[in-house]
Amino acid sequence: MVVLRHMRKPVFALIVVYAIGVLGMALIPGTGADGEPEYMSLFHAFYFFTYTATTTGFGEIPHAFNDVQRLWAIFCLYIGAIAWLYAIGSIIRLVQNPHFTRAVNEQGFARSVRHLTDPFVIICGFGDTGSLLARGLSDHHLRATLLDRDPERIKAFAVRDYRVRMLGLCAHPDVPRHLIDAGVTQPDCKAVVALTNEEDTNRQIAIVAKLLNPAVKVISRSTSERHCKHLNSLHDVLVVNPFVVFAELLNMAIVAPQLHNLNSWLVGVPRIRLGHPLKVPCGVWVLCGYGRMGQEVHHQLVRHGIQVVIIDPDVEESVAPGRIIRGYADYDTLREAGVEQAAGIVAGTDNDSDNLGILVCVNHLNPSAFTVARQNQHENQIAFDAARADLILQSSLTTARRILKSLISPLIQVMIEFLHDKDQRTEALVSRLRAKVGERTPHLWRLGIAHEEASAAMELLDAGQDLVLGDLIRDPNDLDGTLSCVPLVIRRGGELLMLPEDTEAVLPGDGILFCGTEHSERLLRASLNNPYTLHYLIAGEEAPRGYVFQWIAGWASRRADS
Amino acid sequence: MNLERVVFGFFTILALTLNLVFVVGQIDNPSHHDVWILTIAILVNLIATGLKLGDRSQIGALLLAASLVADLLLITARIFWIVADSDSATGPGADSTVTVVSLAAGALAANVVSAVILIGDALMSRR
Repeated sequence: MVVLRHMRKPVFALIVVYAIGVLGMALIPGTGADGEPEYMSLFHAFYFFTYTATTTGFGEIPHAFNDVQRLWAIFCLYIGAIAWLYAIGSIIRLVQNPHFTRAVNEQGFARSVRHLTDPFVIICGFGDTGSLLARGLSDHHLRATLLDRDPERIKAFAVRDYRVRMLGLCAHPDVPRHLIDAGVTQPDCKAVVALTNEEDTNRQIAIVAKLLNPAVKVISRSTSERHCKHLNSLHDVLVVNPFVVFAELLNMAIVAPQLHNLNSWLVGVPRIRLGHPLKVPCGVWVLCGYGRMGQEVHHQLVRHGIQVVIIDPDVEESVAPGRIIRGYADYDTLREAGVEQAAGIVAGTDNDSDNLGILVCVNHLNPSAFTVARQNQHENQIAFDAARADLILQSSLTTARRILKSLISPLIQVMIEFLHDKDQRTEALVSRLRAKVGERTPHLWRLGIAHEEASAAMELLDAGQDLVLGDLIRDPNDLDGTLSCVPLVIRRGGELLMLPEDTEAVLPGDGILFCGTEHSERLLRASLNNPYTLHYLIAGEEAPRGYVFQWIAGWASRRADS
Repeated sequence: MNLERVVFGFFTILALTLNLVFVVGQIDNPSHHDVWILTIAILVNLIATGLKLGDRSQIGALLLAASLVADLLLITARIFWIVADSDSATGPGADSTVTVVSLAAGALAANVVSAVILIGDALMSRR
């Protein structure tokens, strides 16, 4: 409506000019074929004025004009063209007005979001982490709405190609109105993810989102202790601190290498092969950079009784046990720290060129050492890949993976924690996954035993028949084999069944988390909705389909009984 | 091998072929089209429809729908033939024959759809 209000004057001007031109043309007498005065009809006058004002100029229609008419035609042409220029100019001015475009964008965005019917996630901040997260969500066919206050980032977003439609708006994400535009109050909104670069903004987003919709899940990135504490005090807010997450992963790599390997494989770390765990050596370690990451890593290493030498220009002597070398990590300080004999090196400064430099030095001095590198900028990925570090902490990637895991399959994290001290079960699971999925990329999905997702299975269960997990994953093309998938967790009410056996019964209302291939998901879902396939899987024989054959089968069995 | 599939496939394909047998020939020449074939085609189609009743799968619903279409068109064709035949002593005229054969050709299309679905289903299950 703002357009109409703005266009009031130009439209008015056009109407007045048209009225003058048309009236004049109709009132001026023309010369007819026989020399008698002849008046132009109003419709002809309007026709003439329309093509004259828009500078089309079809000529003198219907008869050649006399001089008075031509005089008026000149006048018509000038006022008409000027009125049109004025109107078009006004529209262009309006479209170029940044406030106007913003208002139109906001309205369009809010309207599209209101019409979303599938579950979606709100991502606040489309930096490295935000874009990785959006990519991950799109790979899992989950929609997202995006807010970022930087117009360049939104432009970058607009040219991305996603599997599902994502909606983006250039706006301050901590303003409540924009969060509502992005759909925070809608029942389909699964989560709000705060990933802006300012800790305060993230905190504000978390608080506003919780106030506007207490049921919504809020996930926030934070690396400062003060903000972490503050966010943790809010109810039901997941705080992801990439450095803490990385320290946990490092700890897992030391204590349970198989599990670390499984976890990396499940979250889709490139070049990870299942069943080839990292071996973290327990000798003297050199830690370059004692910042936020350095402290977390140091804490984990010392906890496992590993001796650590710290190289950092600003570190206080008293903060950490062990040897401390003050200075920047370079060839000399690394040699002073004894890098030739070190078992592992952590390049953990907040400067990518320093970290790459350390890796190059280490490759030269001690190529067999275990290297851990911190990658700060996503665009340096190729350089870090070439430096062949054993473990890379890329803050944005670690954060995005952890958030994606908690959005797509929160049970995976629970399962990983469950397996933490169970080496044999991890081993068994890994070998089963290797047999079923092998080198293919793992695909995780959740299957709900409910009427919408598994109609045939529910029919069977409602009829009082038993269904076990082994029947579900049987291959309909080969009854002796199973589909390429492994059931990981069953959620039954509030209870979680980890790594269920094939003999485990399936009950209505169960949620089952599977890991396998996309193809196996399609086959499994198809058989759970087709009563005949399901019967075939359970009984090993085809059930009669039509009434006629059902009657014959019933008659045959009755005769066999008698 | 499953006896049900054999019987089912037999009637579906027989319905298709009989339908084709009736349709083949000059469209306006009543001596090219045998009303007995048409009657038997209707009978076989009705049996095929009966066999399809009671299948609860998606494919079953589609097969039943195609079969019902074929029944409807063939029966309409047969009624047209009766009406045209009763008017004259020499059998139906060219105009009526065209209508009857076109209706049967429509039923043929529905029977082709049935057969394609049946074959597709068998290929998809790969066992």
